[in-house]
Amino acid sequence: MRSLQFSVPLLPTSRFKRHSVRCASDRQQLFNRIAPVYDNLNDLLSLGQHRIWKRMAVSWSGAKTGDSLLDLCCGSGDLTFLMSEKAGADGKVIGLDFSKEQLSIASSRQYLLSKACYNNIEWVEGDALDLPFSNGYFDAITMGYGLRNVVDKRRAMQEMFRVLKPGSRVSILDFNKSMQPFTALFQEWMIDNVVVPTATVYGLAKEYQYLKTSIDEFLTGKELEKLALDAGFSYARHYEIGGGLMGNLVAAR
Amino acid sequence: MVRLSKWLLKEAGTGVNKTLSDILVCPLSKQALRVCEEPPSLISDSIGVSFPIKDGIPCLVPTDGKILDTDDTMKHDNAADDSANNK
Repeated sequence: MRSLQFSVPLLPTSRFKRHSVRCASDRQQLFNRIAPVYDNLNDLLSLGQHRIWKRMAVSWSGAKTGDSLLDLCCGSGDLTFLMSEKAGADGKVIGLDFSKEQLSIASSRQYLLSKACYNNIEWVEGDALDLPFSNGYFDAITMGYGLRNVVDKRRAMQEMFRVLKPGSRVSILDFNKSMQPFTALFQEWMIDNVVVPTATVYGLAKEYQYLKTSIDEFLTGKELEKLALDAGFSYARHYEIGGGLMGNLVAAR
Repeated sequence: MVRLSKWLLKEAGTGVNKTLSDILVCPLSKQALRVCEEPPSLISDSIGVSFPIKDGIPCLVPTDGKILDTDDTMKHDNAADDSANNK
């Protein structure tokens, strides 16, 4: 049997950057490498705050009992488990990610956690740019710290729009690319002086230096709202949270 | 016990549960997928590609797909013809 190899698109077309270009394959490998310490580092680096932001993201998604839900770029499953609690036994949650290692951890966590409702979760290895779901299937979608890492954000938004039921929402949590100079400076200082040194202890300095590059290349709140509206969403609003360090885009189909 | 059984079945790679296989479509053609038991995989007949299932997790990234040789598609067609004739 022959392998199905597609050329992997590089960074979005509009940019030539002074730093190295990262293709989808590089990012996939990066997330495979950080998988074993990902959860611990999230807790450490955000002083546990990420748990609050994720609960907010799930609330904004409008997920409720009995729904069919999708958590994109699910990683080790934090948002997926929260969505599972919302959906309940009659609902269904799909956690999708392109990192085998992250999904393996998510699957192990599902087994080890005691809540019976987590039986409504299924894990799928997939690409946010080519979702393996039919049109209009999901009642809500969440995406936590994923949009910034996809190589084609426009296409990711279009795919999310396609698989959402009319009237449903997507809730996208990520770092905020702030237009406030002080916030931007503080964010950069935190990455240079807290995040990267901590990651260095785990042998992952290079992987977390990528964070600064990816935020730099990310879109501002206004740009994200426009991206959603251009993809066909009828409503889009970006909320700044975590003192402006984080942002949550809410868009309705 | 139920949880453990389900987890063990997935770990054994015996495939993906029916609800999930009903939800999933080919990531490229967006057409329905056919479940194959051995090796555990999901077949997209619309484009002649097979996607593996590993440890109960369907691998549906486009580059995970393997183009099916004509022999594989012919075997499936023959099996389908036989079952139609036996009815």
